[in-house]
Amino acid sequence: MDEYAIGVLTSIGLLSFVAASAYLLLIAGELSFGQQGFFGVGAYAAGIATAMLGLPLFLGLVIAMVCGAAVAALVGLPALRLRGLYFAMATLAAAEMLRILFELFHWQVEIGGETVGPDGTQGFRGIRWVFERGVEPLDFLALVWGMLAIVVLAMHFLERSKLGATIRAIGEDPGLAGTLGVDVLRLKLCVVAAAGALAALGGALFAHHNTYIEPRNFDIMLGVHTLAYALIGGLGTVFGPLLGVALDLGLLEGTRVFQGYRMIVFGGLVALLLIWRPRGLLDERVVHWLRGRR
Amino acid sequence: MRWLLGLAILFSGEAFAQKAEARLDCKHTGKDFIYDCALQISREGQPVTGLDIRIGADMPSMPMAHNVKPVKAQPTKTPGEYRARLDLEMPGEWAVKLRLGGPVRDQLLLHYEFDERGARPVRRSAKSPRK
Repeated sequence: MDEYAIGVLTSIGLLSFVAASAYLLLIAGELSFGQQGFFGVGAYAAGIATAMLGLPLFLGLVIAMVCGAAVAALVGLPALRLRGLYFAMATLAAAEMLRILFELFHWQVEIGGETVGPDGTQGFRGIRWVFERGVEPLDFLALVWGMLAIVVLAMHFLERSKLGATIRAIGEDPGLAGTLGVDVLRLKLCVVAAAGALAALGGALFAHHNTYIEPRNFDIMLGVHTLAYALIGGLGTVFGPLLGVALDLGLLEGTRVFQGYRMIVFGGLVALLLIWRPRGLLDERVVHWLRGRR
Repeated sequence: MRWLLGLAILFSGEAFAQKAEARLDCKHTGKDFIYDCALQISREGQPVTGLDIRIGADMPSMPMAHNVKPVKAQPTKTPGEYRARLDLEMPGEWAVKLRLGGPVRDQLLLHYEFDERGARPVRRSAKSPRK
């Protein structure tokens, strides 16, 4: 496989984690513009774990997920008292606060004659755990897609479980779900934390893929794209957000026809799809139809 | 089953690295966002020859959204100097990614601001900006 194809497929895999996290919130009835913040938390946490503390990548990913879930829960506690657009605005504000915190975050140590660690707006260089172990791009691609397969399978089974049905119920009608005995706020908080952990896992892998991160990597642009991926792909199945990412990166990047106009094409695609299919390409109706054919 | 091997990376052991330094000098070709770039690669102050260099680029403000197709840099007659043509999608700040193979194995990131006049290294204040 050529290096460019490996790069595009790795990007699709990495963005799929954060798109899946936005999807998880969408099926629970919440629109988040802030998943990029937790993506950033995961990137910084995992970078610190492997590059500064010398921990293996596995522990770095676990720490990133724990940090992502904890920060998301902290954001969710007050934000979940808001509804609809107000919740969306609160998550956006939280993500911007996180980005500014990354800009203010300075903690560097000397390792092997080199200064390593977050340095505010200068970013965090030297997250070289993967590179220094001679991991080839194709092997890293396999790691990313292997982890993504585990996540997608877990979410697929979650959706087919009673818990999954309850999450969809609180998304459709929280009032009705509440009268049926569901603790809506607590369940939504769990979903927010799980989505935070998922975004953080993607961020951790991104940091190790890139070897360098900076606060600007986690700005609103990534948040808007993340939400768009889930909305384009569809809210009927966990494969929806993956389809959304693949459509943007795979199709538009793969063709290279649109070049600098790609963002305009992407914006137009989102607008058209939201009019034509408000719940995305793989919405509940399509998924139900596909299941009925088997 | 390659993904299972990929997952094994999570638990892998010893590290190795060979640090190199790079300097980039890019000139606008006159065509939309195509640049001719000269690279100087050194290690401990000495130019490094015989490298296999792949150059790619990504926009920091839109990570992974603008993957520039990596190109192979060709060595020139000057020791440690390599040339490559970069085809970017738009002006602005780009993180130029260098993947070095051969006598020195390394991965470097250089931040440059590209426009019609050429490319300049991005200089940011060490202090956090006040908003």
